[in-house]
Amino acid sequence: MPSGRANVGDGGVQYSFAMEYHGPPITRDLPRAVPINVDRIPVAAVVSQGSLSDKLALPVVQPILASDITNKFSKELGLGLGSECLVSPTSVIAYERQIGDDDSVSKELLLGLGTETTVSPNSGPSNHDCRLSGELSCLGTLEMNPDGRYGSGDFSDVINSSTELGASTTSHDLSKELLAGVGSSGTLGFSDSFDKSRDLLGSPSDFGVSNTCKESLDINDLSQPDWASTESALSFDYPSSRVSSLQVGDCISEPACDERGNLVVTFRDIESEDGDLTEGLNGAEPEITGLKKEFEVRAKKGTCYRCFKGNRFTEKEVCIVCDAKYCSNCVLRAMGSMPEGRKCVACIGSPIDESKRGNLGKCSRMLKRLLNDLEVRHIMKAEKFCSMNQLPSEYVCVNGKPLCHEELHLLQSCPNPPKKLKPGNYWYDKVSGLWGKEGEKPSKIISPHLNVGGPIKTDASNGNTQVFINGREITKVELRMLQLAGVQCAGNPHFWVNEDGSYQEEGQKNTKGYIWGKAGTKLVCAVLSLPVPSKSTYSCGEQVNNMVSRSLPDYLEQATLQKLLLIGLSGSGTSTMFKQAKILYKDVPFTEDERENIKLLIQGNVYGYLGILLEGRERFEDESLNERMNYNCSRSQTAKLFYTMQQFVSEFTFWFKAGHADENDEKTIYSICPRLKAFSDWLLKIMVSGTLEAVFPAATREYAPLVEELWDNAAIQATYDRRKELEMLPNIASYFLERAVDILRPDYIPSNVDILYAEGITSSNGLACVDFTFPQPASDDVDSADQHDSLLRFQLIRVQARGFGENCKWLEMFEDVRIVIFCVSLSDYDQFAVDGDGTLENKMILSRKFFESIVTHPTYDQLDFLLVLNKFDLFEEKIEQVPLTQCEWFDDFHPLMSRHRSSNSNSNSINNSPSLSQLAFHYVAVKFKRLFSSLTARKLYVSLVKGLEPDSVDEALKYAREILKWDEESANFSLSEYSMYSTEASSFSH
Amino acid sequence: MSVAELKERHMAATETVNALRERLKQKRLLLLDTDGLSWELRSMNLAVATYARSQGKTPLTFGPTDLVCCRNLQGHTGKFRGGLLGMLTYEVYSLDWTAEKNRIVSASQDGRLIVWNALTSQKTHAIKLPCAWVMTCAFSPSGLSVACGGLDSVCSIFNLNSPTDKDGNSPVARMLSGHKGYVSSCQYVPDEDTHLITSSGDQTCVLWDITTGLRTSVFGGEFQSGHTADVLSVSINGSNSRMFVSGSCDTTARLWDTRVASRAVRTFHGHEGDVNSVKFFPDGNRFGTGSDDGTCRLFDIRTGHQLQVYQQQHGDNDAPHVTSIAFSISGRLLFAGYSNGDCYVWDTLLAKMVLDLGSLQNSHGGRISCLGLSSDGSALCTGSWDTTLKIWAFGGHRRVI
Repeated sequence: MPSGRANVGDGGVQYSFAMEYHGPPITRDLPRAVPINVDRIPVAAVVSQGSLSDKLALPVVQPILASDITNKFSKELGLGLGSECLVSPTSVIAYERQIGDDDSVSKELLLGLGTETTVSPNSGPSNHDCRLSGELSCLGTLEMNPDGRYGSGDFSDVINSSTELGASTTSHDLSKELLAGVGSSGTLGFSDSFDKSRDLLGSPSDFGVSNTCKESLDINDLSQPDWASTESALSFDYPSSRVSSLQVGDCISEPACDERGNLVVTFRDIESEDGDLTEGLNGAEPEITGLKKEFEVRAKKGTCYRCFKGNRFTEKEVCIVCDAKYCSNCVLRAMGSMPEGRKCVACIGSPIDESKRGNLGKCSRMLKRLLNDLEVRHIMKAEKFCSMNQLPSEYVCVNGKPLCHEELHLLQSCPNPPKKLKPGNYWYDKVSGLWGKEGEKPSKIISPHLNVGGPIKTDASNGNTQVFINGREITKVELRMLQLAGVQCAGNPHFWVNEDGSYQEEGQKNTKGYIWGKAGTKLVCAVLSLPVPSKSTYSCGEQVNNMVSRSLPDYLEQATLQKLLLIGLSGSGTSTMFKQAKILYKDVPFTEDERENIKLLIQGNVYGYLGILLEGRERFEDESLNERMNYNCSRSQTAKLFYTMQQFVSEFTFWFKAGHADENDEKTIYSICPRLKAFSDWLLKIMVSGTLEAVFPAATREYAPLVEELWDNAAIQATYDRRKELEMLPNIASYFLERAVDILRPDYIPSNVDILYAEGITSSNGLACVDFTFPQPASDDVDSADQHDSLLRFQLIRVQARGFGENCKWLEMFEDVRIVIFCVSLSDYDQFAVDGDGTLENKMILSRKFFESIVTHPTYDQLDFLLVLNKFDLFEEKIEQVPLTQCEWFDDFHPLMSRHRSSNSNSNSINNSPSLSQLAFHYVAVKFKRLFSSLTARKLYVSLVKGLEPDSVDEALKYAREILKWDEESANFSLSEYSMYSTEASSFSH
Repeated sequence: MSVAELKERHMAATETVNALRERLKQKRLLLLDTDGLSWELRSMNLAVATYARSQGKTPLTFGPTDLVCCRNLQGHTGKFRGGLLGMLTYEVYSLDWTAEKNRIVSASQDGRLIVWNALTSQKTHAIKLPCAWVMTCAFSPSGLSVACGGLDSVCSIFNLNSPTDKDGNSPVARMLSGHKGYVSSCQYVPDEDTHLITSSGDQTCVLWDITTGLRTSVFGGEFQSGHTADVLSVSINGSNSRMFVSGSCDTTARLWDTRVASRAVRTFHGHEGDVNSVKFFPDGNRFGTGSDDGTCRLFDIRTGHQLQVYQQQHGDNDAPHVTSIAFSISGRLLFAGYSNGDCYVWDTLLAKMVLDLGSLQNSHGGRISCLGLSSDGSALCTGSWDTTLKIWAFGGHRRVI
């Protein structure tokens, strides 16, 4: 029979192992506990309460030495149990063997308890050898241990803790379940649960009621029912009713099982907070039905399902899954934190009882009293919107076809949805929007042209009039209505009714009239309880298309948000891409506040650029003065020899022109007047001290006129003409410097282009994200697929790699992104930057390293990657001057360009001979693709982008969307079809 | 001096620095006898253990019932992943207990901070965050406000008593901005509601004055006196709140004195992977670390020596990362959460694993991302990527240790 081996260590750890049952099928009945008489259940007498209060305040009950309770308790327990030995013969025998050598009190105790316990008939003579049958044991042990604990109270001298008893009688994994089952009852641990039980038993009447002990009791909530059952005679029927009802649930998986054989899991259903055992045994659904049934058994009492108090008039909260009712004292414990609304903890994760759908989100007064406003709001919101509580789409059949998730959503979110949709079979006339239950007359006119369900059937509404509307044989009532509305129905016509009520006979072109045109018809409809189109039905055509603007329910909002991670080294143009996306897809790309900040930032930047210019000016001035000095020296020497009047005159005039005669020696074209010089010195000083951000742009108002003067100064202009020599000055600076005067005005408002060009707008903050949808193409008529697309919302998350270290610890936070857009600046191939180790490294190589680390990151396993090769405009210029081979990774780039060009006279051949930059781009793309496929054996998508051109960015992001779409569709198509898609994809990728 | 020349010099200088650093490392290893897991180290570990035994310390025994899961906090719900019908999950990233021991704040990827009553498992507050990528959260010592930080590089403070606006959102009471990288960890200075230490991906730790919102001091960063990679964790000494320790991706842990921001008091080498978690030992003279190399270590701050290594033997290179650690109130137990969902209870003295919470029933289904002990040490809360928090408590006769 069942085999389990118990193994009790001497002083150390106890382990026990379960073995699978391999023996022959069981032929006889398994030992069973007879449902017992109410009065026979052990009751603990009330232990004085005062001592409890301090313990109760703790989240964990401090361990209490067992000995101090044993005496008191064992007696009472013993007494309570003593009378019970007559109840169930089988288990008595089993237990007698088991505890044969223990003292008589505990024997009686166990005998009494044995009534609830399943013990296999051949359990050995000693406690340690007790064996439990495989299947039963998983349930049986659960039962047994709690009882064992009662026992252990008595034996605690003999056996040092009840764990030992529990462990010895329990197979290993079962004990685990048990632990969690019982263990989840609390901080009050378990091995010594006797102590606890004393606590609990000690305060029987206050149990559910007293507020002072509420907290600590809460911890116990799960085990409470069974403790509770011991606490008052009233509840004595509980275990037995429990047992019989439980068996309903459990027998589903094991119908052959005898009722008694299963009477095991005492508090399984309430306890299984996560329900894994129960779910493991039965499917989710049978469980629900089981639970429901179970509760019905006890429902007749009209009492609370937990504390069994109160009557049918007591205010109670109902579980929306299993219909269990709890009084105000028990509801919080029975329902826990209500992550899915008002469900008992055991029901969390189960679909709700459809008859209660109407009550979703409608809070009872009781809950409002018990919880604060915020909590109630959260719970009600969770109840209404959590995905588990949504109408399961497959329960709704339209025209004989179960709906899928999207269809249901379409149906519910249309402008004129069927009210209070319940699971069932419906018919839907897509042309007219008529809607009704299958086999019945229409009940409502909803939005037409929704792409849900199958085609309508002729017998959808079970009519027998031989008159058809849109292919459906109508019912007598409808025919009556038509007749009253003045529609000619002679000769069993087939009508074609549009959503506006206009009807024509099938096969004929001209409209014969409007069914609902006359005021009288509506009255007739009302009398015959037939639907009339609501006003909004007419305009629904446009409304469907505007679905984007409709606010989506919370749970769908989550589901349709697709996240794109935009990532790249600093300077790779992620910021530009991000800003571009904002400008492209947002109605208001930058709020007033943002613009104000950006303005300050740009102005600060411009001061920075000016500073660089001024620094350059000083350098140039020094250089030219030095030159002049050298020139003067040489001239003075030669002058003696080759002095001519003419030379002197020309020299003099030049110097005269250049400035005041006195300061001749000091002036070059790079010199500026003292006032500006002072400003320049001051600005440079600020720059050196690194407080530029602190001073500017706050001081803009004061210095703007000065800047204007400065900019107009010839010296600055001369320096600006030599800006190529100033390494610090970024390329973009000229865009701003040329408009410096405008920009530095206090009333300057940055344009979108300014923002696009500006540096550092998003870099101050490591992360930025923008939600957007792709705008509908205006010209195309929207079919259903596009409609679905328009629901998709995207979130572009841009992460600044610089602030995020090369360890990429943060990458795992983005495990829910759908695609990674990796930016690489093409023009980086001849630039250098300092890498993590402090060595100077080619930026392209750095990009590659970063790319490798991201691509191989376990979080992004199987994720699509879109490589964006950015700054192609700069690249085009640069490639003509600097060979691509500058970067060691690209040293085998040998374009056949020059020969190609010279030999290729017919420049307008079909394939326009690609430019050098085009070739180089393809070369780089292939380099990355090879790298990618060597790392992941997948395909890399590549896109070419000029970050400053909106169209280019738009294209890249749409390409990303396409990739996602292929991804989704490829899952729906067979493999062969997928290959077709993938080739298409590759043709897109460059 | 031309640019090329400068570059060359810079390269040379960097090389020298790296070489010196390498030599320093060698020397240190020599001094510490902590060459990987050399026999000296093992013997040292043994020495601690043997000494402990000679002092009459018997190994702890933990039955599977000694720590039981008594609460399951569900409420971080609904992150979308993959496909329209994909699974909805939100990972819990961080949690913290209040000093008055029965409330927990947790941060999850659903962009919410949730404050729980640990006893009733009710949510008392749910704060929607402006940036969903939150990595850390902390309760103030008074329990009146919570702080959180994440990829937005800002540490936000929320006042729990402030009224919510009409959408039910709590306003941000204070934004501590100044980090240039993500905020990986934050902790209030004990007994001060006005000071907070954060660690960041910009390689620095910062002591903040919350009333002004300004940085009081910055530890590390510009000069190479601090961490050389992302700082992932901080822990403040409970007995001397001027001292705190930080763990970083540069595989070291550093001890800092808040009065001396310029340089670390001491650097602790030994780990071979990112140090994900640091935690002061209750006596304040030691601290524990948890690392990507799968080990936890115990360091002594006075001698700078490594005292113990807590390592479970695994196959090559597949040791699960230690994500978070916590000490029991006496320090005898070390709780360590691992990336594979295990949660070991170590005997700190004997370096012996006494219990694996991951093997118990009701254990987490995903990586343990954070764990914390209640202030009285009676309950342990673990947060996991399976979206739930679980509270474990010592059962039965087992005393709180």
